[in-house]
Amino acid sequence: MASLSEEVLLVVKKVRQKKQDGTLYLMAERIAWGPEGKDRFTVSHSYSDIRCQKISPDGKAKVQLQLVLHTGESTTFHFANESTSRKDWEAAKELLQQLLPKFKKKANKELEEKNKMLQEDPVLFQLYKDLVVSQVISAEEFWANRLGGINNGESAACENKQEVGISGAFLADIRPQTDGCNGLRYNLTADIIESIFRTYPAVKQKYKENVPHNLTEKEFWTRFFQSHYFHRDRISTGTQDIFSECARQDEKGLKSLVTQGVKNPMVDLLSLEDKTLDEGYGISSALPSTSHASRTVKESSNFAIIKRFNHHSAMVLAAGSRKRDVPADQASETSSTDGNSRDSDFFQPPLKKVKLQEAIEYEDLQQENRPKTVALNLKKSDRYAHGPVPLQSQQYTTSQDIINSVNYIKHEMSNYKPNLTQVLSSAAASSAIAALSPGGVLMQQVAQQAINQMVPTEIQAELKHLYVAAGELLRHFWTCFPVNTAFLEEKVTKMKSNLERFQITKLRPFQEKIQRQYLSTNLTGHLECMLQAAYSKFHIWQTRRMMRKT
Amino acid sequence: MASEGEISLLVVVVDVNPIWWGQHAQSEPEFTLSKCLDAVMVMGNAHMAMTRTNQLAVIAAHCQDSHFLYPSKRLKGNDDTSSSRDGKYELLSVTNNLIAEEIRDIMSKTELTGNSTDTLLAGSLAKALCYINRISKEVGVAQEIKSRILVIKAADDCALQYMNFMNVIFAAQKQNILIDACVLDSDSGLLQQACDITGGLYLKIPQKVALAQYLLWVFLPDSEQRSLLVLPPPAHVDYRAACFCHRTLIEIGYVCSVCLSIFCNFSPICTTCETAFKIQLPQMVKPKKKKPKLPA
Repeated sequence: MASLSEEVLLVVKKVRQKKQDGTLYLMAERIAWGPEGKDRFTVSHSYSDIRCQKISPDGKAKVQLQLVLHTGESTTFHFANESTSRKDWEAAKELLQQLLPKFKKKANKELEEKNKMLQEDPVLFQLYKDLVVSQVISAEEFWANRLGGINNGESAACENKQEVGISGAFLADIRPQTDGCNGLRYNLTADIIESIFRTYPAVKQKYKENVPHNLTEKEFWTRFFQSHYFHRDRISTGTQDIFSECARQDEKGLKSLVTQGVKNPMVDLLSLEDKTLDEGYGISSALPSTSHASRTVKESSNFAIIKRFNHHSAMVLAAGSRKRDVPADQASETSSTDGNSRDSDFFQPPLKKVKLQEAIEYEDLQQENRPKTVALNLKKSDRYAHGPVPLQSQQYTTSQDIINSVNYIKHEMSNYKPNLTQVLSSAAASSAIAALSPGGVLMQQVAQQAINQMVPTEIQAELKHLYVAAGELLRHFWTCFPVNTAFLEEKVTKMKSNLERFQITKLRPFQEKIQRQYLSTNLTGHLECMLQAAYSKFHIWQTRRMMRKT
Repeated sequence: MASEGEISLLVVVVDVNPIWWGQHAQSEPEFTLSKCLDAVMVMGNAHMAMTRTNQLAVIAAHCQDSHFLYPSKRLKGNDDTSSSRDGKYELLSVTNNLIAEEIRDIMSKTELTGNSTDTLLAGSLAKALCYINRISKEVGVAQEIKSRILVIKAADDCALQYMNFMNVIFAAQKQNILIDACVLDSDSGLLQQACDITGGLYLKIPQKVALAQYLLWVFLPDSEQRSLLVLPPPAHVDYRAACFCHRTLIEIGYVCSVCLSIFCNFSPICTTCETAFKIQLPQMVKPKKKKPKLPA
């Protein structure tokens, strides 16, 4: 039943579904259909489940709308109202078209993310196959920990996307072509329109005001290009053009820009002057006139163009630095680089100070401000110098022994002559060789170390998979402790049963398999040990819980 | 095989502790210091005979000092000792004669001070490292030189030399110098660590009389050739630390975070640096007091 808080957007009567008459309801988050005369909905789909909608072609007598869900199943609605079927159907279709994209993205994103993760990480994929496909744990549990960042990741990904800037030449890129008969063709793409709107918010405002009430889009743009606003020489006389107001606003903006000046206190723009050497190479005494009146026509048109260019560049820069999702409401804009908004003079003095300081001081030359440390105070530092005491028994030698030994050796070595032909007897040599050959006294460990050569590679690979799967399950199990909430209690019992299921379905067959292949090595001993530790911990926890309850 | 022109330097450090050798010579007369030195000479000759560019050095580690047996200062002395009577490669006969002379000299000058009966092994190893360093500098930058140290150990470890020993081991590791150990009598933990850290071979010989055979089989090949041969596997090294209070080897202990000293028991104050520590005891859950029900 539809909850009272659900907002019903559209109700269509006389819609048939599966040969039954009924009513179709489109709500804010789902679409539902109930048979005629009954109160409840038999069919209800939320928009995020719907993959797409299919419509019957225009010519057909039957007006149908089919909803295809992500799972593959589809539901068909037949608009059977004789008179209004077409209209209803269109309305429903439009509404769905608007609503579906909103919900579609969210659902798809999750699935896409999951698929991407599985494809990128083969170990994860294997784990998924081992655990979820073979029904050891459910898919939700599997994704529970891994998708933690997915909803945050979405917005983060959006933030990390770089914003596309505006090309400074976007107006020039329009490139009007002659139509053949005294007309001009302007090709406007969506990108260009967007650039125009971003750079000149005044135009956007006008667009919003006039389209689609007064003018169609085509008319608006035609007027735009025809107006003097767009053209090179702006003669801002009182024409009835809708864009003359824009021109006035631009003038105002430009003036405010000029009064604002440049933020960097180190740059002094006013000292730059556009001095041209007119006739006479500076010697002639003609005064350069700066008043408007004495300007020649050519100068003033140059002046106008340069002014236009400056303004255009300033607007492009401002639009580029403005954040994308700032609302179009101009009153809320506080960026001071935009020619149409207020200035921010009060930021200037501290900025200059900072810049001056940066130029003067070097960080490395300052006095070091190391944090205060406590000196290490060792009382018995000779402890570090001692190694571990060997556990062999100390042999006591009396001093008499020592003297005897030394005398003996002195005596022996005083007559030392190297006798290199009698160094080794063949018996001794052969026994040494026997000890050093594989299987000899000294080579016992070599045979033991070849275990990875004794076990076939498929078994090794399977063992690795088992370890990964067991590790995942055990990790879920052990993170439940200490068990504080009811959710954790439930989870811990579920994980224990999962572990048991894992042991029965995966571990036992593997053990039997290696037994059949007569491999005497105990490959799964450690796994069993880990599982046993988990079971005993669970048992202890359970008994403690019982004791607490009684 | 070593590439053309690559110099391989082998430094043999022989433990000639007179007390140990004297005692053992009395109990086992068939293997004496002379026999040991003969075996070392055989190995040294073999090493030098393998390639012209191979070099050898022999150091004797005594309880008083460590002494270079070869090359010795006598080399520059008289020339008439070098004539060999059996047509041997002259370098080998010179070497053998020098070693014999030097060891006779050292042993005759042995004096008993009565203080130390331990071999100065750390010092000999340090001398070996210095010699290797000198030779590598003499040879120049263009020449590649590979060096290793072979220690033939007789007497027991000395606990007092622990720090010096460890320093030597790490210095050798930094310089990529292998330390091999051939142990005659009892296992030495320090040498096991040295071999493990530097990548050398540690072997305790079951039969001392066959020393030459072991030396030639196991310790003569250099590190490149060892990877192609089947040699005794490395032994398990006991790297457990010793606690500072009892000097026993422990597996799990407590470490002071300030001075890094290791203890086997928890104590609230570290005895080395006198820092006080607090440990959070697990919280005791107080049993809930049930209010007595008032009679209705």
